[in-house]
Order: sequence, then C-alpha cells, then structure tokens
Amino acid sequence: MKASLLDYILRNRLPVTIFVAAASFIITFFASRAERDGVGYTPDQPINYSHRLHAGEMQIDCQYCHVAVEKSRYAMVPAVATCMNCHTIAKKDSPEIIKLTEYYNNGKTLKWKRIHKVPDYAYFNHSVHVNKGIECESCHGEIKQMEKVGQMNSFTMRSCLSCHRNSHERLPYIDDVQRGPEYCYTCHR
Amino acid sequence: MSDHKNDIQNPAPNYWRSFEELYSDQKFLAEKNNEFKEGASDAPNTDKMSPISRRKFLALLGASAAVAGTACSDYQDKGEIVPYNNKPEEITIGKANYYASTCTGCSSACGILIKTREGRPIKIDGNPDHPVSKGKICSQGQASIMGLYDPDRLKSPKRKIGNGLDDADWQEVDKEIVLALSTIGSREIAIITKEIVSPTQNEVLKDFIKEYPATKVYSFEQFNESIRKNAWQKCYGSSDFPFIKWNEAEVVVSLDADFLGTGSHRVENTRLFTERKNIMNKKFNRLYSIESNLSLTGMNSDYRLMLRPDVQYSFVMAVINELQKKNVITNSVNASAFSLSKLAGDFGLSEKILNHLVNDLSKKKGKAIIYAGDHLPENVHIAVNLLNEELGNSELYDTEHSTVNVRNLSSLNEFKNLIDKMKAGNVGVVIHFDTNPVYNLPADFNYAEALQNVDEVVTLTEVENESSGLSNHVLPIHNNFEAWGDSKTRTGFYALQQPVIAPLYSTRQKESILLTWINGDTTSYKETIFHEYLMANWENSIYPTLNSKLAFNPFWYGALHDGVVRSNDISNGIEDFNYSVIMELKNAQVKSDGITIQIKESYSLRDGRFANNGWLQESPHPVSKVTWDNYAAISTTTAKQLSVKNDDVIEITVNNRTLEIPVFVQPGHVDNSITIETGYGRTNSGSVAEGAGFNANTIFFSTGGLTPWVYEGAAIKKLSRTYNLVVAQTIYDFTEKDKKDLPQKRGIIREGTVEQYLNNPHFLNGKEHKVLESVNPPVPYDGVKWGMSIDLNKCLGCSECFIACNVENNIPVVGKEEVDKGREMHWLRIDRYYSGSAEDPKVSLQPMLCQHCDQAPCEVVCPVVATTHSPDGLNQMIYNRCVGTRYCSNNCPYKVRRFNFFNFRDSFNDGYQESPVFALLHNPEVTVRSRGVMEKCTFCVQRIAEARSDATREGRTIKGSDVTTACQDACVTNAINFGDINDANEEFYKYRNHELGYYVLEELNVIPNVTYLAKLRNTHSEEA
Repeated sequence: MKASLLDYILRNRLPVTIFVAAASFIITFFASRAERDGVGYTPDQPINYSHRLHAGEMQIDCQYCHVAVEKSRYAMVPAVATCMNCHTIAKKDSPEIIKLTEYYNNGKTLKWKRIHKVPDYAYFNHSVHVNKGIECESCHGEIKQMEKVGQMNSFTMRSCLSCHRNSHERLPYIDDVQRGPEYCYTCHR
Repeated sequence: MSDHKNDIQNPAPNYWRSFEELYSDQKFLAEKNNEFKEGASDAPNTDKMSPISRRKFLALLGASAAVAGTACSDYQDKGEIVPYNNKPEEITIGKANYYASTCTGCSSACGILIKTREGRPIKIDGNPDHPVSKGKICSQGQASIMGLYDPDRLKSPKRKIGNGLDDADWQEVDKEIVLALSTIGSREIAIITKEIVSPTQNEVLKDFIKEYPATKVYSFEQFNESIRKNAWQKCYGSSDFPFIKWNEAEVVVSLDADFLGTGSHRVENTRLFTERKNIMNKKFNRLYSIESNLSLTGMNSDYRLMLRPDVQYSFVMAVINELQKKNVITNSVNASAFSLSKLAGDFGLSEKILNHLVNDLSKKKGKAIIYAGDHLPENVHIAVNLLNEELGNSELYDTEHSTVNVRNLSSLNEFKNLIDKMKAGNVGVVIHFDTNPVYNLPADFNYAEALQNVDEVVTLTEVENESSGLSNHVLPIHNNFEAWGDSKTRTGFYALQQPVIAPLYSTRQKESILLTWINGDTTSYKETIFHEYLMANWENSIYPTLNSKLAFNPFWYGALHDGVVRSNDISNGIEDFNYSVIMELKNAQVKSDGITIQIKESYSLRDGRFANNGWLQESPHPVSKVTWDNYAAISTTTAKQLSVKNDDVIEITVNNRTLEIPVFVQPGHVDNSITIETGYGRTNSGSVAEGAGFNANTIFFSTGGLTPWVYEGAAIKKLSRTYNLVVAQTIYDFTEKDKKDLPQKRGIIREGTVEQYLNNPHFLNGKEHKVLESVNPPVPYDGVKWGMSIDLNKCLGCSECFIACNVENNIPVVGKEEVDKGREMHWLRIDRYYSGSAEDPKVSLQPMLCQHCDQAPCEVVCPVVATTHSPDGLNQMIYNRCVGTRYCSNNCPYKVRRFNFFNFRDSFNDGYQESPVFALLHNPEVTVRSRGVMEKCTFCVQRIAEARSDATREGRTIKGSDVTTACQDACVTNAINFGDINDANEEFYKYRNHELGYYVLEELNVIPNVTYLAKLRNTHSEEA
C-alpha cells in the first residue's frame, strides 16, 4: 500500500507538478517580457503633446527641442520656455496650450512621465550615438508617427549589445559603420 | 639579477615603515602574513546598526511586495523627468560649467575654478589664469567643497535663551544687535576677524567704524609671519618681505622652515621649488633641511640635520662665523662665540654635511637661499637676512612683486589690551567675524573668561564652534561658494570671488550682515546688498585705477569670467640693508636645557578651521600617516629616556598649564624636543570634528616662550593611560625574509644620485630581471592605450592628489575605527618608506594606485568576471557584477583594491554622509558604491569617456592629451603625467620612456601602465 502511494507520487504527481510549475514559469517569463522590459509603455503625460504633429507633420527638427543630444549624454527634455517660443502666439486658445501657459507663467514644474530608462549603473551617451550618425528612430521607433510616445524597443544590455555586435544589419543606412565597443567601461564605471 | 645591486643606488640597506617592522615584532610579523587585518572581516557591531531585525525586514519586504503587487499597473513606473521652466542659457544638462573665483580658506586667496553640474558645485581646481596659484590649489582648497554641503552647517540664526541656543528670526536678531550697537555709549565694539585680504570687505569695516565710531577691528591668525615681518622691517625698513625665486635657487637651506608643507605660500613655493627638480633639462637644486621634527620639507631634502628650534640661532651664527673665517663674507657681525664644530659635537650633527653646506654657500653665492621658519625668533631671521645679504643671495628676492596688506594683523599686545578692556567691562559688543578666538587665541589670554564680561557676543560662522557656544547671537553665514568677494594679496593683480550656487539655507553673506547693521533698518536687507556694494566699490575705487579701455560693465563681466584682473601698481622694491641691525645679534651662546615644545599648524586641518571636514580628518599625515588625531612627536632616544612608547599618554606642563596627549615616536625627530600639531580637540564644532585629537592650544601662549610657538623647559609626566593612535600605513608591510634587500629584490623604490645620473643616464638599466612567465598570451594594443608616469623627483608627498581623487571619485569617509581595521577607501595612497636608522632615516615617497597591469593578476581570479581588461589598457572594475569575494584584492601585488565592508555612507557618524544635502556633492559621472563591492582607481574613466564623446563630436579620434586625471590636475609640482603610451608625439611619451623609468615589482611581469621615475638625491658622491 505504502509502496504504491509513493509510486503514484513519484510517477504521476511529481512530474505533473514540475511540468505545471515549469510551464507556468516559462509562459509567464515570455508573456510578461515586454512589460518587464517596458516595451509598449505609453503613459499619459501632463500635457497631451503630439510628436506626430510637431516632428512628423510640421517636420520640426528633433534637436530644436532636444538641444543637448549631440553635446551631452542626455538628450534633454526641453524647458517649458522652449514650447513658449511658438506657443505665445500659436494655438493660444487650445486647452492644452492654456495648461502649458499656466505652467510657464506660474513657474510650476512640468513633470513629464519618464518613458525610456536605462539603469543607474549604465552610462548611456546620446551624443556619441547621434554624432556617429545613428538616427533617433533606430532606438526610439517611429517617433514621427506617434501621437503619444511609448517605448518601442527594449533597453536592456542584451539590446545594446545586439546592436553593437550587428551594427551592419541594424544600421544599414550608415556607410562604413563599425561594430560598437563591447568592453565594460563603455557603459559601466 | 646578480649585478644590479651595484647599479641601483641603495641609500641604506633596510627599508622599513614602522618600528614594529624594523625591530621585527613577532606579533606584527604574524599579522603581516594575513591579507586582512585582524578584525577586518569580523561581523559588524550590531549596536551601531539599524534596529530593524532581519525578520522584521523580511516581513516588511513581504508586505511591501504584496502592496506593490496589488497596486501596481502592468508597467513599472519609471519616475518623472522635470525640465527647467526656463533654462539658463549656459547650462547643458550633463555638461559641466566652470566658474573662476577665489578660495577663502586662508589668507593666500588662491584663484580657483569651480566645476558645477546642473548648478551645483562638485569640484574645485586651481584657476590657470591666476598669476600666483597658476591652476593649482592646496588639499584644503580641494576638500573645501565638502564644507558647502556639510550637514552640520547652521541653517538659521540662533539666539541664546537660558543656557542653550534657539532658532530665531533674522529681523529680530538684527534688531537686538542694532540696539546693542547703537546704545554702546562709551564702551568699545570689537570686531575680531581673520587676516583680511579683501579690499571691499575692508571698506565695509571702515563704513562700520564710521557708523559706530566705538568700533575697533582686530585681525588674528594663529600661525602668521609676524616675526619674519618684524625682522624684515628692522633689516630693510619696510615690512614687505619679498617673495623668493625658489626656481632660481641652486641651494636652499631651510632652518626649521616647512616652506613646502605649511604656511600660506606653500602652493607657490612648491611649484617654484620643484622646477629645479627637472629630469628633462637635468637641472637639480640641493635642499639642506636643518629641522627639529621630520617635516614634509625635511622628507624631501637632500641633506637633513636635526636641531632643536632653540639652537637655530647658534647654528646660523656659527655658519656666519665659519664663512667669515673663510673670508667668504667680511663686513659683518661678530660671531666668534659660535662654532659649527662645537655644535656638531654637542648635537651630533654630521661634520661632513656641515662642510658641504658651508662649501655650497660659499661656492653658490647669489644662487643659494637661506630660509628660516615662521616660528623661529626674530634674531634668527635677522641673522638669516644678514647672511643672505652678505652672500649676495638677495638676487633671489623677487623684486617684481610685493605683498599688499589690506589690513595689518593685530599684534598680541593689541589683543592683550582688548582682553584687559573686556575684563574691566569696557567692551559692550564683540563680533566674531568668521573667526574662532575662543579656540585659537593664546591660552594665557583667558579669552573665554573675558567674554563673560561682555553683554553682547555675536558669532558669524558657518558651523558652530567654541566661540559660538559662548555667544548671545549666532548668525549663519554663506559658504565661500555662495558668496561675493574680492582679494588683493600682492601687487600686479586683483582677484574676484563669485557665488556659484544660491544659498542652501537661511544664511547671509557676512559683509551683508554688517551692511544691514550699518544701515540700521533691519528690513533693508536683501540678498544682493553686498553684491551691489562690491560692484560700486569696484566702479568707484578700483576700476578707475586700472586704466581699462572697457566700460565698467563689460570690464566687470570680463573680470568675473577670468577671476583675476591685472593692475599696474608696482612693487615697492627692496631698500638697502640697514647694518645697524647687527647690534641685535648677540655674540653669546644661547643655552637651553630641558625639553622644547613646538606647536605647529596641522598639515590637514590647518589651525583647526577644517576640522569638520571628513576627507581632511581621514587624510593620513604626510610623514607619520596618523589619521584622525594629533600627537606628541618625539624621538626614539627621548622616548627611551621618558620610558614611553607609541600610544602612551603623557602630560606636558608648560607655564603651569597642562596638556594630555598620546606619544608618537617619530623617526628623524630631534632629541629633547616635542612637536605637536594643533587644529584638533575641537568641541561644539560639528559632529566630525568632535572627539578627534587633542586641543594643543591649551599650551599656546602669547608670552613665556622663545616665540608663541616654541617653549623651552617643559615638564613631561607619563600617565598610566594609553590612547589608540591610528596609523594608515602599517598594513601591507613586508615580512622579515623579504625585507633584507627589499629595494634590490623587489624594485619598489629605486633611487640614485644626481651625479650618478649625469655620469650615466642609464645607470638604472641593465637590471635584467628574471621575469615570471605569463599565463596569458600577449594582447596587441593598436589604438590609444592609457598610461601614467609619476616623477618621484617631483613628488613631495603632500596629499593634494589624494584629496582630489576623493572628491572626483565619490570616496566616502569611513571613520577612525574603520581606518584602524584597514578599511579606508582611498584609491590613491602615498606610501612613505624610511631607510637607514630609526634616529635619522631617509625618506622615500611613492604614490600608489591601481597600476592597470596588462597582465593583471586580479582579473584571472575573479570568479564572476567583474574585473576585466579594456582594449585601451584599463583594468575595469564593474561594481554591479562584483559579488565581494575579495579574491582580486588578495591577488593584487600592489594592494590598491579597496573593499566596501559596509555602506560607509551609512555607517560613518550616524549616516552623516547619507544626509540628502550630501548627495549634491557627488560627481554624477561616477557610481556611488555600496556595501559588498570592490573598488579601485579607474584612471578617471569618466573623464576618458567624456573626452571620447567630445572627440566623436568633433569627428576625430581621441588623443592622449585630451584627458587629464584628477590627481594630475591637482598635483602642484606636475609630478603626474597621463596620456597615450603609443603616441610618440606627445609629452607623456618622453616620461613613459624616460631612462629613469621603472615599474614597481617589475619581476612579476604584470606589465603595469604606471611608470615611476626614479628619485635622484642631489648629494655628493662620497655620501652615496
């Protein structure tokens, strides 16, 4: 009797339990991957700003707002004053612009939700990438078609390295593109 | 291997770093066999840790995970980005801005360049345009950035209520003080200041006197050059003693003068002095140091003699007598009572060295300089002036510039009178204008007691101190980096000081506080009040004298940009020597018995004003390597006579006052003499300064000594107590077996003499080592490969590099107990080796940092590949990969890897460094390391990364000269060079491939990328 119970546990219950546990882990791992990496994260912003309109339709250069992108490791989210360069005149009556003007006039901080983030211990440098001729879209996706910006690619170390290692495939538009460096101090210090 | 014993100049057979090592203490030797000191890997002291237990922590963790699980959305929140509302034009996020200003740490007023990131200052370097400091500043200047973010800073004005101080409102406080000032009647208002170097600050004081005519200003510095000044006045009729052209001196004779280590001209002195330690143009000076304690200057001398401060007069007179006998000098004083050979006999001085000294002085007339210490009595200075004059050494006086005294220091007599008036109740208000007289004034003044008779005591200070504790009102003032100012220290230029950050707290600029009181209307204060006053003073008084072609506004902005303005005021020149002064030089031996005490300025804390700076407290003493404490330095012989050893507490009695202080037996200290550094033993002065060291000012007197800094006939009593002095350099010593012929065998220190080098520049070579074979195949390095060279001829061991490294790389302060366990986190240390005897050792210095070996032994033992090699030759350390096995440190032959046994920011001083304001201090380009990871010098990889990104932007490849490391920038003597090993066109290449270059522990074949250039001693051949 005892033997047959043990037999049952070992032959049937145990493999099933292990299978279910393993399967659910594997399914969850892959199914939740996008969320874990933040791919598809499209938060609501305090002001409903449209990249499609500004960068796409009106073809304003990315660097009109993201001024530091070729000088610094940060691309820099523009100061509210930058928006006001146009919006003291343009579309003054739109509800979103009224909100914006309030921020500006009252000196209130405009807290944008952060979308892209690499961990603290990775020192990503925008200027190096931009100055090597890499386009914003290669990492940030078709930003010019986004009404509301979301994260399109994963920003894990694996994604960085996959491009550094296969730059010919990933960045075909750059002539004589070289492999990116892979040593640790490239990003970590 | 066999013949290099002859090639390498070995000044003495043994190298040793402590007495335990020299005398082969068994316990010590046993300890040395262990990688970590006993206790280093002990379990932490739970009493000092957070009261949250592991169980509680897990419970909280579970609870928070559950809450997070239910509350969170699908995606992890990544926080917010908050842009500027209106971005200042000059700011680019991620790029540093630099502003020229002036350091107010001491009366040198060095020009500084403040690096700011996103509006917060993070690093201080010298201003290259400043004519005196020329891009370099001292270690206090480097570390002073910590003072801005010191959590102990006063955050609002305080008023005495009962026995304590309570927060108050600026307006109320101002009202009370203005009332006291305006109802002063016939009594005096005393303002006590530091040395004033700012012309505009002086104008404010003058205005103050106009408004409140009962005011008198007293300026005080505990360590000053008043004796030198008085002696100069007597000899040349003017108190402006000249600067010295050290770079033109072939022979320098220092009489107990620590001109390279302390004093306000030391940055300039050091720079000029080491210009004549040049292995490229092969010009070398010779330094004779005749001193009592082994000082930084003495460590770097070619010849050193030990002499008590009270015998210096006999010494200089004996030199005069000797030179007279040789007819080198004629028209001069009668010094027949003095004889060098008698002195040599009495005090055990080497006749050989004395002969060399006299010969050098006679041969190098006009190219030698004799320089006496600030603390020596006036007659020594007069004799020295006479000797320099007679030998024609006045050629080396800098006649192009002279000192400008905005306001003379007050004499001790003036202070004596003030105290008498205070005691008699004739002083109504005392204002401590950013000074701490209770701590710094001579003990016999009983200043604290006298203060009790003053109704209104106001202290203006950044951090509370001894004086603020006895005040009715304590007013917080701006830090250097929040304040405006100007300075005038010598002819030829003015310097400006500008704020680089808005005030962090409710503090006010100290001049603005006085201006408000002058105005009388306490509502009149505004932040810009002194800024406007400064600009007005410049526009009306200074600008017109400068003959600038620009209008005032463009001139002003240009001046602020540069930090300095040239002016056309000319030097006063030097008058003729007044020979009647030789009457003062008595032809009689000075006899002194007993034990002489010398009070000296601390190398790191100065007169105590930097005591609350953790980086400076933890900075090892340049000679003894003691941290966090001061001590009574005595010689081995005197220690034997008194039967004391290290750590024994003694009681020193001078003029009926006593000081209890532990003993440190200092090799190279003169017998029957004790040297004590002051600046320690602070009370009520911030949580870092508290409890560090002993207050030596209890035996600092205005009278009764040879000078205020030297006392004879002290009584010493050994107490039964001991005190633990922590020396940062007894770890990593060598065992007896290796020690015997260490320099030859291990090649750590290689030295020679100048003569040897000039005869055969390659005398170091031909040292064929049997090198270990490498387990790794050689790696080709095609592009840039980083390397460093350190010229040991120029390295004086001053610690500037080390402090700069701390600031640049976010190095935490760990505290005394942790240093005792060998857990200090310094990436760069300066090893000090003694050689020769314990009584009279020679010193060799060597900055030691990660050598970035091509065949790095640390890399092969890391089980998680957290330390690897980069294609540009850097040994990389990746913190988030490190699991803390410490194998790498164990396998490092240079012992330069440091392990975070704790999160030291949390564990030191109750989380002092975790205070939110402290976070502003950190360099945002460098990771703040936490517990459990190994770290070490990165060759400032953040600077390399920035230079590389700039090069990419400019469409070129990076060059070696694009990068300077923090230590290199800070090194006053330019001993450190950094660059590309493969680029033959660069300056660095010459150093890397210099014939004096060697690697430390070359035979290990780890192929370091740090080259040391062997030290040459400029001694005579028979000395070799």
